[in-house]
Amino acid sequence: MSVILKTEKLRVEFANREFLKSVKVALSSLDLEVNAGEVFGFLGPNGAGKTTAINVLLGFVPPKSGAAYLFGIDVRQPIARQRIGYLPEMTYYYKFLTAEELLRFYAKIFGVPRKEADKRIDQLLKLVELEQVRKRPIKTYSKGMQQRVGLAQALINKPDLLILDEPTSGLDPLGRMKVREIIQRLKNEGKTVFFSSHELGEVETVCDRVAIIHQGELKTVGRVTDIIEKHHGNLEKAFLDIVGYQPQTAS
Amino acid sequence: MNSPRPFFLLFIALLIFCFGLAADLQPQFQSLQNDRHQSNNFFSLLLGDSSRIFANDFFVKADAYYHSGYYPTIFDNNSAFQTPHMAEDTGAIASHNQGEETTFMGPPRDWIDSFGRNFIPNRHTHLDEGGPTDDLSKSSEVREILPWLELSADLDPKDIRTYIVTTFWLRTKLNRVPEAEQVLREGLRNNPNDPQLLFELGRIYFENYHDSARARNIWEAALRSWARQARGVPQSERLKLNNENFDDRFIFEQLQTNLAQLEEKAGNLDAAIEHWQQAKLASPNPEEVQKHITDLELKQLVPDVLAPATP
Amino acid sequence: MKNIFAVAGIVIKELYRRKDFYVLFILTILICLIMASVNVFNDNQIIRYLKELCLLLIWVSSLVIAITTTARQIPAEKENRTLLPLLAKPLSRTQLIFGKFLGCWLACGLVLICFYVFLGALAASREHSWPLLNYFQAAFLHWFTLGTVVALTLLGSLVFAAPSSNSTICFVIVATILCIGRYLDAVALSLSEPFRSIIYAIYFTIPHLEIPFEMRNLIIHDWPLIGWNFVALDAIYLSAYTMVFLVAACLVFRRKAVN
Repeated sequence: MSVILKTEKLRVEFANREFLKSVKVALSSLDLEVNAGEVFGFLGPNGAGKTTAINVLLGFVPPKSGAAYLFGIDVRQPIARQRIGYLPEMTYYYKFLTAEELLRFYAKIFGVPRKEADKRIDQLLKLVELEQVRKRPIKTYSKGMQQRVGLAQALINKPDLLILDEPTSGLDPLGRMKVREIIQRLKNEGKTVFFSSHELGEVETVCDRVAIIHQGELKTVGRVTDIIEKHHGNLEKAFLDIVGYQPQTAS
Repeated sequence: MNSPRPFFLLFIALLIFCFGLAADLQPQFQSLQNDRHQSNNFFSLLLGDSSRIFANDFFVKADAYYHSGYYPTIFDNNSAFQTPHMAEDTGAIASHNQGEETTFMGPPRDWIDSFGRNFIPNRHTHLDEGGPTDDLSKSSEVREILPWLELSADLDPKDIRTYIVTTFWLRTKLNRVPEAEQVLREGLRNNPNDPQLLFELGRIYFENYHDSARARNIWEAALRSWARQARGVPQSERLKLNNENFDDRFIFEQLQTNLAQLEEKAGNLDAAIEHWQQAKLASPNPEEVQKHITDLELKQLVPDVLAPATP
Repeated sequence: MKNIFAVAGIVIKELYRRKDFYVLFILTILICLIMASVNVFNDNQIIRYLKELCLLLIWVSSLVIAITTTARQIPAEKENRTLLPLLAKPLSRTQLIFGKFLGCWLACGLVLICFYVFLGALAASREHSWPLLNYFQAAFLHWFTLGTVVALTLLGSLVFAAPSSNSTICFVIVATILCIGRYLDAVALSLSEPFRSIIYAIYFTIPHLEIPFEMRNLIIHDWPLIGWNFVALDAIYLSAYTMVFLVAACLVFRRKAVN
């Protein structure tokens, strides 16, 4: 199975605002591999380094040391992002554009020919149920609608790898169901999905493998079933065990 | 209480109260006002004394327009532009210009300056002589200086040179005599009985309307006004050639000369000689004036003798 | 190049969907028409004061549009979090900078066309002549000047934290150059060392944006055309400064965190 996403001893540091501490280590020697065609969950508590890792993969943040590759290309090259789709946690897009204009803009950047782009835009707007409002500016959209626009723009180039940062955050149950369906459909098409989430129930349902990260360190990686079996419970219990959560007993 | 009626009634009541209060206070305010000098000029109200600075700037701006933009800045040598040329050319304003007006910029200081001079007006021209195109048929484009002169006059109504210069261009180059008269009358409203303005008004009546009687009256009124401005200084002192007040002597000479010419044209040689005698007192060429007086006296004695040209 | 043009297209769309340009354009028209209605000694052929006023308003408006539009490009992308989805595409930071520059510059060009057409119509209504080549020269160099201003502002938007501070600083710098840039060498001559050297250094370093600015007098007073070689040289001169600022902006942006 080919490796789509790979990190090698990835280390990311930020300047620390605390007194007498020069740097804050956001990621410490992260080694990760995601194979083609799998749905990979990236879990961890808040501040664990999930978004930082995704930012490195997308070229937003340069690593202090180590490397990251997408399709075998160093993530610092813009061409590495030609075959990926990215849905950020907070979906903000150009408010003065309509959904259709936004998708056309991104299609142009991907080099999608005009006719093909028109076809895809129609399909995607239908998929995310925004066909009726395609000509309205995005500033008139609700949060859920903006999230769906985000999903559409992440799929405009028919990506081989989809990177989703908390894709169901802020969505109602119907919206979450829709996202799960889309992930499942992509998996059936042989696409690779890499997403971070706090919704462990969802992760347990859709993911083939997961990685759990805590305080910048990779704690475990493996098949969901294997991890659950190892910790004799569900994924939530396994997660809590791995991050070292100690319940406070009532005095 | 959603009905708007109470608010409407309250509004009406307040309105009536305000008007009543204003009417009651008006007499008291009137008595206060009479103790203060009131300016009814919008600009002096808005800008105060600084309006005169702006007025001078716009007067100079008119000169810049007269030169089609070829004009020194404070960084250049402006000794050849101390007196605006468009005012100097009227003959009514004394010139303080020295130096060469075509080379005020001097040689280029560096390559940037040299290159930049290709993008600015770089030749000395006058609008009434054709401007940058040297096309004499476009001499009437001197009209372009008028808005700045009008603005200058509005900002400083006490500066009579603005009225004189405006009138000159309107009358001589643009053939707008009614407008020229209007300017002078405006000037006289703001500067009552000013001899220079009265002189210019008389010229309009004499040269353009050919109304000698009216012109005579106006010029004589100007002379009386000039005399009233003596402020204890004897006339002989005011007319001295080395007197620093060129304008004071010059306007007296102009008035007497023009009155003399008017009387000559009307055939009143006695009156003409009298005026020429007065003009001689202020003239920088009294010999020439005396020669003409002698010719006129001869003419009185022997009417068939042709009078020589006036000095 | 397609990425650069795609980003530029978004910038132009943003400009014509915001109200800034329309407000300034209508304000310019209103002021000029009010001034044109002033009766100056019953002479309806007087036009130069109008041309001067119109050109001044064009310069002020175009600088306002150029600087305010450019100053908010990158900061607004960061603030609105549209930068991350954009950079997640196969778009390099250099392409983004050039795309933003091109969009702002082309938008300024469209603005200038509207303004200069209005100026031409206003002047023609009284002069009954269309010195098209003169207007073209002025507008062309005006456009290149705005290119330099846009590049400078873009660099400033990456250096300064807030768009407002960037706009203010850029306005001050540009206005100072326009007003006294030509005379700094004369000022330097009148000073003693070390101020003379400092002012000379500034004089030779700054982009001389006042060269096209002072062309207004040629338009106002109907001077003949400038030699096309000088126009070309000035365009090249301004382009060089534009490239310097853009390269600097690319270098700064490459090192900047975007999240």
